[in-house]
Amino acid sequence: MKSGPFAFVRTSTFRLALVYSVLFGLFSFLLLAYLYQATVGSLRAEADERLDAEMRALGLAYNAGGLERLEQSVIERALVPGAPFRYQLETPDGERIIGDFPYLPVSPPEPVGEVRMVSLSIEMPRGNGETVVTEAEGRIVRLANGNVLLVAIETGERGRIVRRITSAVTTAAPIGVLLALVGGIFISRYAARRAEQLTRTTEEIVAGNLSIRAPVQGSGDEFDRLATHLNTMLEKLERLMAASRHSGDAIAHDLRSPLSRLRNRLEEALLSPMDQESARETLASTVEEVDRVLLTFNAILRLSRLDAGSEGRMVKIDLHDVLEELAELYEPACEDAGLTFHSDISQPIIVLGDRELIAQAVSNLLDNAMKYTPEGGTIRFTARRTSDSVVITVSDDGPGIPEHMRDKAKERFFRLDSARTQSGSGLGLALADAVAELHKGHLDLLWTQGPPEPKGLKAVLTLPRDK
Amino acid sequence: MMRVLVIEDDREHATFINKVLSEAGHDVETAYDGANGLAMARDREFDALVVDRMLPEKDGLKLVEEYRNGGGQTPALFLSALSDVDNRVEGLKVGADDYLAKPFAPAELAARVEALGRRQSKEEPPVTKLKVGDLEMDLLARKVWRQGQKIDLQPREFRLLEFLMRHAGQVVTRTMLLEKVWDYHFDPQTNVIDVHISRLRAKIDKDFDEALLQTVRGAGYCLQA
Repeated sequence: MKSGPFAFVRTSTFRLALVYSVLFGLFSFLLLAYLYQATVGSLRAEADERLDAEMRALGLAYNAGGLERLEQSVIERALVPGAPFRYQLETPDGERIIGDFPYLPVSPPEPVGEVRMVSLSIEMPRGNGETVVTEAEGRIVRLANGNVLLVAIETGERGRIVRRITSAVTTAAPIGVLLALVGGIFISRYAARRAEQLTRTTEEIVAGNLSIRAPVQGSGDEFDRLATHLNTMLEKLERLMAASRHSGDAIAHDLRSPLSRLRNRLEEALLSPMDQESARETLASTVEEVDRVLLTFNAILRLSRLDAGSEGRMVKIDLHDVLEELAELYEPACEDAGLTFHSDISQPIIVLGDRELIAQAVSNLLDNAMKYTPEGGTIRFTARRTSDSVVITVSDDGPGIPEHMRDKAKERFFRLDSARTQSGSGLGLALADAVAELHKGHLDLLWTQGPPEPKGLKAVLTLPRDK
Repeated sequence: MMRVLVIEDDREHATFINKVLSEAGHDVETAYDGANGLAMARDREFDALVVDRMLPEKDGLKLVEEYRNGGGQTPALFLSALSDVDNRVEGLKVGADDYLAKPFAPAELAARVEALGRRQSKEEPPVTKLKVGDLEMDLLARKVWRQGQKIDLQPREFRLLEFLMRHAGQVVTRTMLLEKVWDYHFDPQTNVIDVHISRLRAKIDKDFDEALLQTVRGAGYCLQA
């Protein structure tokens, strides 16, 4: 990241805080505008209403008794002490007939009968003899005889409220915006700090430290979820890395012994004078050794392609046929080896899969069973449907695999110590496991016969059924 | 004896193939690039083509495809380090008759080239009866007799015997049997094929003086009168 005096402008903290405060300012403005409207606006409406009512009452007086009655009514009303209204009645020449004002504070309209709304400032006497200038709202009209009538109501109260609200708004708004900015910075600093922690975690990973984990605060928020997912991914990655490191070592280890045997044999052949017959034999056995190495290489290649997901063409197949064929392929060999072979394949078993790969996976399980079952033992090969999957089991009478070794047994080149003397690449279960995974199924290793006297390997290959 | 054209750019490899096929009694010629190989395959008469997939000038897939599109009938076998099932399918799709992954055992190559040569041409009517010595097979009735005695076979045994009879006199390897009779392109670690062969042998040879089904050491089996 580039740094500089204005680098902070680019941080999401700053931007978020800015957005927060602008939004907050806008909302405060809207809220205050509403408040203003609700108070001042309603006061004004009330004054208007009272004025209109007064005008209507005067209108009624006019209707009942003409101008004379109207003017009489105005004079009476103006003389009532404590009335909220101020009146002024003048002749067309500007001579006061009756009224609260020394002179008409606004110019009257010329057309007769037209009522005009006016705002005015009036001097009001206070009890102590002083006068106060206050605002008022009024109606002014020219009567039929040319006289002018003004009715006004004091609205000074309103002005005070307006001033108070305005001052409240002008002092509160900057404080609000400032608080919003601070709050925004605080909140986004928190978010940024969490993001920064995750960034630091990933930097460590890039640097090669796969054992680091992102901090989870336990609040269950988005950052926690992200951190949890990151950690799950890291665990998987760490396991894979360890496995690949292990399998790299294992490949080297596994191939070193046949190659050194080969080398020894060739060296020996070079040293000792040989007749043609024994030379041929030596060469033949070296070719066999090389073939074994090549076979291992092929298995490794196939596994890598499976892992990369580049192998396997998924089509709808009936596993019943595939498994029956395998049973038929293996049964004679088992019988010849002195083993009892039972197979029970239900039908039909439709799956979406690669026939060749499934056949190879199951064939590896059958090979294993044959290899580890002592003479006179029994191999059971079954396949049955469950509601959403097919369960293929191959169980034998052999030594089985103890619980704590089972995960390892599915790793590449892993061989139980007891199996080291047996031929085989140590890739059979790894390949079966990879095939299961490719088909979104799984391979489980269990006892054929449970405790107290556990024995036998029961390999269970579960694949999802096609429905 | 067959006339075989080997198209392979790696000289050492070409020499090895040449030697294997010559020792099997074939007359071998070699082309070292694709363009040359295609020209030779078109201009001269051969009984079989052995084609490497990765060739300079013109790769193997294209070569066989063009050869077939030009009306070439000679059976062809791909040799390739690309041994995926997908690669194999590609190879057979363009018109090859067989596909052998490198590296291979000499006996395997010899057996497969031999098997290529006897390919039935498309104009001939389909065979309905096979006969090897006193062993007879009726492909339509799916029945087998030896010296007039009926022999009962399981369906798979029948297919196994059919393949052996179609390639009578030739060496057939275990891998070939797995591929052609069982359609598996992997090698089980146990001797499953041997056991099937010995079961079949028990049915067709046991009660008769002359054994027809021979084991060829280090290579495979051969059915021969």
